[in-house]
Amino acid sequence: MNDRVTRRGFVATVGAIAIAGCSGVTGDRSSDRSTAMDDSATSAATTSTASGEGSLPPLADRSLVLPMEPPQLREAAVSGGVSKDGIPAIDQPRFEAAGQVGGRLAPGDVVFGIARNGVAKAYPQSILVHHEVCNDTLDGTPIGVTYCPLTGTAVGFERGETTFGVSGRLVNDNLIMYDRATEHWWPQVLATAIPGWNADGDASGTDGGRTNGAGSVQSNTSGSATSNTSRDGTPNATIGRSLREFRVVWTTWQRWRDQFPDTRVLTEDTGYIRDYGQDPYGSYSPPSGYYEPESEPLFPPLDTDDRYPTKAVVVGARTTDGAIAFHKRSLRREGVITGSLDGTPHVGVHDDRLDTAYVYRNADGASVTTTPDGVRVADTVHPPDELPLERVHAFDAMWFAWHGFYPATSVYG
Amino acid sequence: MAESIRRTLRTLRIVASRWDARAILTLTGLAYLIGYSFAVGDLALTGRGGISLLVVDAPLDRAFQSTGYLSFEPIAAVEAGPLTYLFSPIDAGLALVLAALVGINVALTYLGLVQPRACGMESSVGLLAAVPALFSGAACCGPVVLIAIGVQATGAVIAGFQLLLPIAVGLLALSVVLVGRRIDPTLA
Repeated sequence: MNDRVTRRGFVATVGAIAIAGCSGVTGDRSSDRSTAMDDSATSAATTSTASGEGSLPPLADRSLVLPMEPPQLREAAVSGGVSKDGIPAIDQPRFEAAGQVGGRLAPGDVVFGIARNGVAKAYPQSILVHHEVCNDTLDGTPIGVTYCPLTGTAVGFERGETTFGVSGRLVNDNLIMYDRATEHWWPQVLATAIPGWNADGDASGTDGGRTNGAGSVQSNTSGSATSNTSRDGTPNATIGRSLREFRVVWTTWQRWRDQFPDTRVLTEDTGYIRDYGQDPYGSYSPPSGYYEPESEPLFPPLDTDDRYPTKAVVVGARTTDGAIAFHKRSLRREGVITGSLDGTPHVGVHDDRLDTAYVYRNADGASVTTTPDGVRVADTVHPPDELPLERVHAFDAMWFAWHGFYPATSVYG
Repeated sequence: MAESIRRTLRTLRIVASRWDARAILTLTGLAYLIGYSFAVGDLALTGRGGISLLVVDAPLDRAFQSTGYLSFEPIAAVEAGPLTYLFSPIDAGLALVLAALVGINVALTYLGLVQPRACGMESSVGLLAAVPALFSGAACCGPVVLIAIGVQATGAVIAGFQLLLPIAVGLLALSVVLVGRRIDPTLA
């Protein structure tokens, strides 16, 4: 069904107007820079097909670290108060050129940007706060651009032939997506399948198998067949597997437009009626309501830590081995911060142009310093997003959410 | 109970026949409807000026798509000057029922006050039942009021919020009967 919305001058009789056609998302060439797919945390995908369940989204060849076993995460999931698809994903996004935006976006408004092979797109936070998932394509690749307002996280995923929807459930206050082909649950930050509607029994126990104070983390390599079973008792090999993900840049409209003047921008013609002028949680400019740094999460997180204010922003990265985070405000101030993930040196690098940051694996311990012209690695200077090091997928997150999922995370800044 | 309902219905006919009671019912019902619409987010001061109408394609299909417990998708948005109103037929119907019950309660209270031999105090207490419904609106995730005041939720709290609307309707209806049966139709 082509659900579109019609805007027209007020008339006395309300009637439905069918709008034919769909947006032609042209591949505007804005630059050769890529800030999206090259930040992938995973390599070769294996598109699996569960027997009789349809086509899974592409899976990474390695699974990301988890704070607890998938069934325990399922037990920790709670209803957010909305039904399945009660927060409707955008399945037929429409875009317009930057020059057509007019006053719809203020310079300081938050947008989520992706770019690859010269194609750039911006997804206003004011729209995604009402939908949380946008099923789109970028340079021919089917993708899902996702945003969870309660954890302040924007992450991109490859979706293959399926689409993502919003389950209405949360874990650690984080959006749990589901794929419409198999209805597996995918917590956004964890990017890994957990048992969903077809899991045995209901979630029980208020403690939800929380990690201990030491914050031990478990690497989930294959999804144990003993604890990850479907209702009929058969092992579910998808549980514990991770999605292929890519970088979504959290920035402002002005910064994104300055860097990508030919960007396309998601319009409010989403096919749904929402008040896009109203963020039900608060405001980011300036931070207020739920987004205030010291404000409480909606649900108690899986684990707590008071080293930073609850909603302070960290730039976090996680691998099969563990998690690392950099305090964004400190990164903004210092430019480069060095840290360690599971004994391996990593470096966080701030990018003033977009007020974002990147995380690189620096296994050889090369000298990385900030200069007025860019970032110096050994003897050469590079743009912050193009260091000659292995870039690790990273994204902004509220501190409480990051620590709740990764209590053993190292954190710097 | 049957006699109480019969007596209440007779009293409601009195409300309908008196201009002063009708006016009170209409004004208080309208005030509650506006307040409720603001509280649950259907009405907001986010208009961008001018007058416009947005309608979804296939509105009949969309109108029955659930977004949560007793909450359904809006099918149209009306902007008028500074106001934006999201119209969901089922949600609007529920709001009208609530507003009508509030208006009737207030109108019966008024009749009780102008009737020396009647006591309308129960309706004043019953009106408190209209308050929780104002907090029934859910944001994309979680009740708006909890987010606004920074109180953490639990599964039980979320479930409780889902019951606010039906509980409010039930209590308001009960209040109408309790008060309506005490008013002597022959004195109105």
